[in-house]
Amino acid sequence: MEALHETLLMDAIINPEKIPHNVSHAFLVCIILILVALVIRKSIRLVPKGTQNFVEVITEAILNLVDENIGHHWGKTLFPFICTIFMFILVGNCMGLIPGFTAPTANINTNAAMAVPVFLATHYYGIRVHGIKYIYHFLGPVRSIFALPLMILMFVVEFVGHLARPLTLTVRLFGNMIAKHILLLVLAILAPWIIPTSILALGVLVSVVQAFVFTLLATLYLAGAVEEAH
Amino acid sequence: MKKTVVAISLTLILLWVLAPLCFAAEAEAAAKGSNVFYYAMAALAAGIGVGIGALGCGLGQGVATSKACEGIARNPGASGKITTSLIIGLAMVESLTIYALVVALIILFVNPFGKLLQ
Repeated sequence: MEALHETLLMDAIINPEKIPHNVSHAFLVCIILILVALVIRKSIRLVPKGTQNFVEVITEAILNLVDENIGHHWGKTLFPFICTIFMFILVGNCMGLIPGFTAPTANINTNAAMAVPVFLATHYYGIRVHGIKYIYHFLGPVRSIFALPLMILMFVVEFVGHLARPLTLTVRLFGNMIAKHILLLVLAILAPWIIPTSILALGVLVSVVQAFVFTLLATLYLAGAVEEAH
Repeated sequence: MKKTVVAISLTLILLWVLAPLCFAAEAEAAAKGSNVFYYAMAALAAGIGVGIGALGCGLGQGVATSKACEGIARNPGASGKITTSLIIGLAMVESLTIYALVVALIILFVNPFGKLLQ
């Protein structure tokens, strides 16, 4: 990979040896999100127009998703976390499509930094809602003292499944972004100008869909932890 | 049944043909004293691994798309919900091939046995 070296715009401002590319571009994503929020706040109106309309579409879609899956009681508390994840991943992925910038989500550290808090939040909210009875989630459908071997087996299986969740969340997003990046680089060397543009169009679709899939899975995991019945 | 027999016998024949090639590469590497054998094996593993991963993904996504088209044909009014579910399902299946790709990239570029080879 040393032969395929890219120059990025950020190299002019920040030394890439001291601050890696994913960190500086993640900060850039945060700055973009905060600036958009401040600009909208200054001229907010009841019937939205322009940028406020676009952001409201996204916010309403995620609000519907959260309300449908988590319910009214905990949906309001968990909504800011989930919507922030969605917006960060969306802007981060799309930043990788612009030449001169790299996607912060194309680095496994950024993705792990988002998936591990989701994992910790599921258990924190699960314990907060259910108390010690949260362990019943791991023990399977039959809960009597006679089914103790089944409960132990179910606990082991659920434990491994739960450990797999942050891993798959991270690797799914990382793999999609790095595959798109490598494919673009290789095709640009092999058959420039037309074919990489079609891959770029596919890349836009993949960026948006992967942001939505990460958010949807985070919502479903949190919903499974805070559900009232069972 | 016949297809299974043909597939298994083809795999065995392929293994039988490729085995001498592997040993040739290892003998050459032992003669040179370098770790070209690792890179030869890594290239082979990456190619075959991602190929098999893409095979499963193609079958799964094909079945998903065909069922989605059938659902839309039965009930064109629900095509919005069906399309949304289809896209989410395709992303889930595709991520399995992406895991295979990540393993192939690790084998090729991160050289997990670095210390052992020096």
